[in-house]
Amino acid sequence: MSPHQPSLFFRLWSTVEFKLILAWLSVVVVTVLLDPGHTYWNNPGNAAELIIRNSVLLGFFALGSAVIIISGGIDLSSGSVIAMSATVFGSLLIALDPTGFREGHIATWAVIVAFLGTLLSGAMVGTLHAWLITCVGLPPFIATLATLVGLRSFSRGVTLAVTNNKSQIDFPDLVLRDSLKDVTSVSVVFLVLAFALWFLMSRTVIGRHLHAMGGNEQAARLSGIRTDRLKWLAYVIGSVSASMVGIVYFADTGSAKPDILARGYELNAIAASVIGGCSLQGGIGTIPGTILGCLFLRTVIDSVNKIVGSGADVYEGMIVGIVVVMAVTFSQRTGLAKAQKFFATPIGWACIPVLGLLTGISFLLFFRDKPWFSSLHAIAFGAIVACILVVRGIMEHRVKRA
Amino acid sequence: MTEPTPVISIRGIGKQFNAVRALNNVSFDVLPGELHAVMGENGAGKSTLMKILSGVYSEYDGELLLRGNPVRFQSTRDAEDAGVSIIHQELNLVEQLTVAANIFLGREIKRAVGILNQAAMDKKSADLLAQLESNISPRALVSSLRVGDQQLVEIAKAISLEAEILIMDEPTSALTESEVARLYGVIARLRKRGVTILYISHKMDEVFRLADRITVLRDGQFVQTVDRAEATPRSIAHLMVGRDLEPARRRENSSDSNVVLETKALSLVWPGHPRGWRLKDVSFQLKRGEILGFAGLMGAGRTELLECLFGASHVQPQGRLLVHGRKVQFSHPAEAMKAGIAMVTEDRKRLGLFSQMTVRENMTLCSLMSCSTAGVLSRLSELTATNKQIQALAIKSSGPEAPITSLSGGNQQKCIIGRCMLTKPSILLLDDPTRGVDIGAKAELYQLMEQLAAEGVAIVVTSSELPELLTVSDRILVLCEGVITGEFTREEATEQRIMEAATQQPHFT
Repeated sequence: MSPHQPSLFFRLWSTVEFKLILAWLSVVVVTVLLDPGHTYWNNPGNAAELIIRNSVLLGFFALGSAVIIISGGIDLSSGSVIAMSATVFGSLLIALDPTGFREGHIATWAVIVAFLGTLLSGAMVGTLHAWLITCVGLPPFIATLATLVGLRSFSRGVTLAVTNNKSQIDFPDLVLRDSLKDVTSVSVVFLVLAFALWFLMSRTVIGRHLHAMGGNEQAARLSGIRTDRLKWLAYVIGSVSASMVGIVYFADTGSAKPDILARGYELNAIAASVIGGCSLQGGIGTIPGTILGCLFLRTVIDSVNKIVGSGADVYEGMIVGIVVVMAVTFSQRTGLAKAQKFFATPIGWACIPVLGLLTGISFLLFFRDKPWFSSLHAIAFGAIVACILVVRGIMEHRVKRA
Repeated sequence: MTEPTPVISIRGIGKQFNAVRALNNVSFDVLPGELHAVMGENGAGKSTLMKILSGVYSEYDGELLLRGNPVRFQSTRDAEDAGVSIIHQELNLVEQLTVAANIFLGREIKRAVGILNQAAMDKKSADLLAQLESNISPRALVSSLRVGDQQLVEIAKAISLEAEILIMDEPTSALTESEVARLYGVIARLRKRGVTILYISHKMDEVFRLADRITVLRDGQFVQTVDRAEATPRSIAHLMVGRDLEPARRRENSSDSNVVLETKALSLVWPGHPRGWRLKDVSFQLKRGEILGFAGLMGAGRTELLECLFGASHVQPQGRLLVHGRKVQFSHPAEAMKAGIAMVTEDRKRLGLFSQMTVRENMTLCSLMSCSTAGVLSRLSELTATNKQIQALAIKSSGPEAPITSLSGGNQQKCIIGRCMLTKPSILLLDDPTRGVDIGAKAELYQLMEQLAAEGVAIVVTSSELPELLTVSDRILVLCEGVITGEFTREEATEQRIMEAATQQPHFT
């Protein structure tokens, strides 16, 4: 033991996971205090179930995304893979058991074959990505951008073909649907997947190699690591985890509409990985961090829903954006010892009115239906935020001078 | 007569990295117009001190006086504005940009309304490179240049700043002898202009040729500043390590008659290049326990040859390669490693190091199979293996869990050698292994190579320093433009004869 060993608390404190747990707890406390309906207090079971359901659904493909990001790549296609796998699952059910599909009771063997077939289709998409990246030589961003656009359109075509020109496949079997969307069993499957991936990434040779490849791909190749095969594995994990959750989404929403199902979700997955401590440069990140990233992100969204009231799903994107910026800013700050200047630069000053305007308008959007609201409140709020930022800027400027 | 005001006064400077104290209360003066050499072993704190002087680190203890006025640089730009510029030991170039764009990065020559004056920058760059007697094209991409040429671009960039104080951090570590001679010419011209130069080097002959005064650091502390006239290489070495160095001993040739590696007419094509090949008809034998040195100027094909032997070349080589008498064709380094070959790469930062990982993770990466059961890692056997190598190679770190970036360059290199050794290779390829490593550590590396050879490992080594090859090699082959132009046994080899072979134009009929 070296004499400079930092204390246990300091080592805990310096992990992303610990900070995320603290941040998550504070979000829960704030929601309990501010929620006008007191949902967390009055009905904790329901609130918890909703958050867990949303976190787990996001978690499936966020974990896949995290594995790819840690290995030095990026996957933009997971939302489209979800839509595709829902379509594939529905189409296979129609093809395997057409009478059961019409009558609303599908044979068990057909469900199992369709399930395996869907996972296989995910593995095939992952293989396609790996081929485009390693053999064709495309950057991962371009390869998965192509499938992001392509697979959704492909799924719409398939849907038209199998449903006699309808734009969606309705979920046929109510009993099956209830069991597939059951939050307990989905959570158990998720925990098994998460444990397997955690074990793979932090306890096995393959996981170490994936980290190494993400950190320095050339050095990894020169260390005798088969980087092409590892990339295949990473992209297959990414696509298979997305196709698993595609089946759940199919059951959850009751129909596979490939034009809108899971549209834009790939960015939520990347956001959750980044909040959980993955570096887009590759090589850095953990599975537990990513899970906590999902939980934190979904809890913040839920909290805003509770505080603002109905119709707040419109603002989900705004919340994700803000949380990503905040999370990455704070995790970077611990890395940089020197005081960062946010506003004491020309661009910083120019951004203060932008931020003031944004917060003022957001205030208006969130609270315009409340009985106490008047537009003066929104203007005052925006102005106060801008003033605080100006004060902060002046303080930074002083520090610079000193 | 009064002493002139020092141009730089270093007053009680200290710097801490996490648990490692890199500098501790260092104070000395640099006089105007002098060439002041700073020497010390790996991890003595030379590079850290220079990074403070040039504004790379802005957090430190103590005080810095520039011409008697206290300064505290917040960035390299601050330092450049105050007339201090630096040539870094590790290259800091934007590989995707051209040579000219790198030289004028941040200070581009502009026409009215901010349009780049490309022609003027190309012209000036060509002039600067001509001063260095280099024929690098200003329009070439930096990524297409070899390390030695990249270093020349760094030097040209530093000269173009026309700084009054120039810091050179091991500028010759990747240069060949002729390039070094040209650099000496440039240094002489700069000194005539009155430029003060702070010069960091591990090469004793270089320092004694150039320096007016020499400051020695040891373990982050100031030891002494001496006039060159009053110092000898021996006394400086004594100050650096705190003990006398044993003179290099000529070892017994430990090679036997077993040929472990043989190439027959190995060639590597170079599509799109007028010469057409990187390597042509390279044939040689390597025996068990032999240390075979490859000499050659930059671009002679040393690195390419080792890459071919290691299955790491991007184009498949032609010709025959035999390992332990069996014909092999490696398409991936993994296959070469399976055949018992290990390689230490030339460019540590780009091709060797995993900077986000710990010492342990860097060390065990190539031998994870022996640290695991059924693919599941055993932390204990990883730690055992790492600690063994840390002891065997005398690596200075705060332990196996220290981040690799907290180690000095020489200790990082030792970790990479340790990584190779853990694969228990029968053939070890070392591509310029002592680049940027101090004399104390160099001597240890030589000893290590001899010890490995005595144990029966066959070693192929390249170096940009001829005396080094002459010290360690049993046999030296000379490459020139991808062709073997000379072969010398240890007894026959002299610097003169090797240089003749290395500059001799190969002929073909």
